Amino acid sequence: MPTLFSQLAVLGSSLALIFGLILLWRRSLTAYVTAFAWQSLVLSVLMVIVAYFGRDPELYVVAAAFFVMKVVVIPRLLTRMQRRFSAEREIEPYVNTATSLVVAGLLVLFGYAITRPLVAVSQLPTRAGMPLAMGLVLVSLFVIISRKKALTQVVGFLMLENGLTLLAVLGTYGIPLIVELGVFLDVLMGFLVMQIFIYQIHETFESIDVEQLNRLRH
Amino acid sequence: MIGYVVEVVQAALVLLLAPGLVGLVRAMKARLQNRRGAPVWQPYWELWKLFQKEVVISSNASWLFRAAPFVVFASTAAASFLVPVLAVPLPFDAVGDLLVVVYLLLLGTFFLSLAGLDPGSPFGGMGASREMTIAALAEPTLALAIFALALSAGSTNLGQIVARTMTDPASALSPGHLLAFIALFIVTLAETGRLPVDNPATHLELTMIHEAMVLEYSGRYLALIEWAAAVKLLIFFSLLGNLFVPVGVALALTPGTLALAVLSLLVKFVVLAGALALLETRIAKLRLFRVPELLSVSFVLALLAVTSSFLLK
Amino acid sequence: MFVMLLAPPLLAALLAAVVKPYRVAVGWTGALLSLVTLGAAVMVWRHVAAGEVPTAGPHEFLRADALSTLLVFCVSAVGALGAWLGPGMGGADVYDRAQVRRFRIFSSLLTFAMLVAVTSNNVGFMWIAIEAATIASALLIPLQVTKASVEASWKYILIGSIGIALAFAGTVLAYFDFVNLTGAREEALNWTVLMASAPHLHPPVIRLAFVFILIGYGTKAGLAPMHTWLPDAYAEAPAPLSAMMSGVLLAVALYAVIRWEAVVNAAVGRGFTDSLLMTLGVLSIAIAAFSLVVQRNYKRMLAYSSIEHTGLMCVGLALGPLGTFAALLHLLNHAVVKSMMFFLAGRVFDRYGTAEIGRVSGLLRTMPWTGGFFAAGVLAIIGLPPFGLFMSEFALFRAGFAAGRPWLMGLVLALLAVAFVSMIGHLNRMLYGAPPADTPVGEGGAWPLVPLGLCMAALVVLGVTLPAPLETLLEQIVHIAGR
Repeated sequence: MPTLFSQLAVLGSSLALIFGLILLWRRSLTAYVTAFAWQSLVLSVLMVIVAYFGRDPELYVVAAAFFVMKVVVIPRLLTRMQRRFSAEREIEPYVNTATSLVVAGLLVLFGYAITRPLVAVSQLPTRAGMPLAMGLVLVSLFVIISRKKALTQVVGFLMLENGLTLLAVLGTYGIPLIVELGVFLDVLMGFLVMQIFIYQIHETFESIDVEQLNRLRH
Repeated sequence: MIGYVVEVVQAALVLLLAPGLVGLVRAMKARLQNRRGAPVWQPYWELWKLFQKEVVISSNASWLFRAAPFVVFASTAAASFLVPVLAVPLPFDAVGDLLVVVYLLLLGTFFLSLAGLDPGSPFGGMGASREMTIAALAEPTLALAIFALALSAGSTNLGQIVARTMTDPASALSPGHLLAFIALFIVTLAETGRLPVDNPATHLELTMIHEAMVLEYSGRYLALIEWAAAVKLLIFFSLLGNLFVPVGVALALTPGTLALAVLSLLVKFVVLAGALALLETRIAKLRLFRVPELLSVSFVLALLAVTSSFLLK
Repeated sequence: MFVMLLAPPLLAALLAAVVKPYRVAVGWTGALLSLVTLGAAVMVWRHVAAGEVPTAGPHEFLRADALSTLLVFCVSAVGALGAWLGPGMGGADVYDRAQVRRFRIFSSLLTFAMLVAVTSNNVGFMWIAIEAATIASALLIPLQVTKASVEASWKYILIGSIGIALAFAGTVLAYFDFVNLTGAREEALNWTVLMASAPHLHPPVIRLAFVFILIGYGTKAGLAPMHTWLPDAYAEAPAPLSAMMSGVLLAVALYAVIRWEAVVNAAVGRGFTDSLLMTLGVLSIAIAAFSLVVQRNYKRMLAYSSIEHTGLMCVGLALGPLGTFAALLHLLNHAVVKSMMFFLAGRVFDRYGTAEIGRVSGLLRTMPWTGGFFAAGVLAIIGLPPFGLFMSEFALFRAGFAAGRPWLMGLVLALLAVAFVSMIGHLNRMLYGAPPADTPVGEGGAWPLVPLGLCMAALVVLGVTLPAPLETLLEQIVHIAGR
């Protein structure tokens, strides 16, 4: 019978994945930012749980940094951007909602298939959540390629990072602290650069619809 | 022998309580909307009134129109024999498979749609086509959601699923169960014609789905159909309550446990009715082309539930 | 020694950041500092050729083996070129002071990040450095904000970040496998440690990890089908940045692939990585060759040629030790020629004001030296003797036939022929004919041609002979990575 620890791990991963699915269902950009903030919150709580049960004090630091960066700072910046561009809704994406959701389900199944060797190899009680983390990664990739607003693509990218962090936490209780902090810094920098670029896109094109970015061909 | 008696009592209880459940939801909604609203037993008066009234049938209607209310009522009542309401295991449980229940309910929906088309009224046709769209997505989700539970229980027999969950309470918290619960809840809203899928209190024909199909009915036929709809709501609530939180379901057929079962059933109904009333008050009806999106979400959740149960055993 | 290698670009960046508004002295200081780095790179080469493996820092954080040395040399050389030939050195510039300052800051940071990436022993830090390099280069692409450059930079940062994220996934998976095996933490991400324990790692996990890593770093290296950002980014970026990105950032990404390939080969044998690299390599060459036919923009032409050469390098890596030798020689040659070509393209662009092949004509008449070097460069890129690329491609084909893959080599040869014909056609259109009416004639600001001429000379030297220090270094690399 699975322990409380592994139950909580799987529960947390499922919640993270469900928040990711919101990106495919809802059309409102505010909903996307809220879903991302909640997903990051779930992940920080999960990190604290893993730190407690796995007796790994470094992970507390990581959880705190993760919380500050992804639950507080980045959603605030995203909301500010979204209000500035008065971009309220995602327009009709390349793949319609119902099909997107079915594709997402298939991607999660695919994620289960490819993480089978990982689950077989691992000894940790958190291993059952790894397929869900991989599913989140694949679903985020799908979001990035099938949505049309630059802001949605950024949120999709941030969720991809969340999925990878989740995979690392579940698989190895996190990577070494120094590397983890470097990764955070990089992601933050990357996000800031994306923010700068979205401002530039808005200045130059008067909209943040990536369908407008079609001048460069061949 | 006593099992059969309990079965009949169970079915009778379901039929008797159903209008009261609908009245309860309406009363709670009224309170939440700061109205006094009708008393909880108002639907009983409505059924009584309808049974007295004269039946008026369109001249274009065929035998189907007259037969449909009976088919709908009979199939829904038959399903009430098979759903675990009071106790498990019961004699009819051998037939009480997941698929049988799903198909019985679908039979009712199917005949109701045909009856909507039969008199040739445009609203009936519109309601029927909308109902079929919703049913096409909701039925597989229903089957998948309960199948997720069946996987961890090892059998598609509903009684066995309940018994299994009772002996292993921690499994009720597993992600498969939670995802299946959410999926089943959304399907309940769709199948019983509740907000945000369909507004049961609407009088605007163009927004109707279930009401549009029964627009032509009157008198005792309408009474049977309304009663069947209430029974359907009760069946879904029983599924939601007893499959996922089987607290209080009687395992032995003694008066004490049965009384406890009835009590816990009532508690679950009150909780679920309250949740439904709250939801209906807070959410607006979805535009029709958005309903398939909602149902796709529930389908994916059910799919994930099945995957979780399958791969995390 | 590592301080001498890594500190100068960091100092140059700090200096450029601090001095506001930009002054030419900053540019000159940065250029001189880049020569210090180049000197340090040569010193490292000397040590490594003598058989040592210099390390520095706790847990052997920085480590320069033969593979690192080759790339350190390439990065510092191209970095020096960028510092000397970039805007802000006192000549006439298309960019204003703020843009030049931004260029100086971020190009120095780019060089610094690339140097850290290739000398870091810790694969996690290698990842961090490559991501930092991506960010630094991304900020420079829209140096002049136009619709096209904004679009190019958005595609670059988005696709690049996705690629990097996938590479991170692969790193995590490999780390996961290692931790399950031994449980050690701090040094677990050291490449040396990974190599040592590679035979014990679980094959299915390592294979999955390599797939992610190849897709991830391959995106940065310009492998098809993840290459879509490359032509746009190189065409819209300022010429010195394109030179640095095409010459060495591609090479650094490939370096990451080679490092991981060595680990995976030690774990599961060559077959898996060989087939993956071969497939993606041939696919890249094919897509690049056919895209070259329809090119109308000479900067994009050079970009697609980069994709083609990356594909060739991957094919070489998949052909065993001989192929690895050829691939790394090709890496060096390509770094030299591509950076030179982009600087020359920059000069042509400044003169003609357009990057379209159709509107550039009479190059030999307006700028005889630039045109001449440009022509020689194109001939070099398509693999003609007496230039270095001919030697490396010849070595590659020899390795292919020795590995028993004649049909594959035939296919690659046919694709190279397609590229050959296309590029010669484009070149002819640019070189001859009458120049457009109001184009000034004469070199104008000819001194940048001196370092470019040196590159040309180096290319010829590499085409005629294989200098002994280079040969020893390459053999050492094959020993590390090509078994």
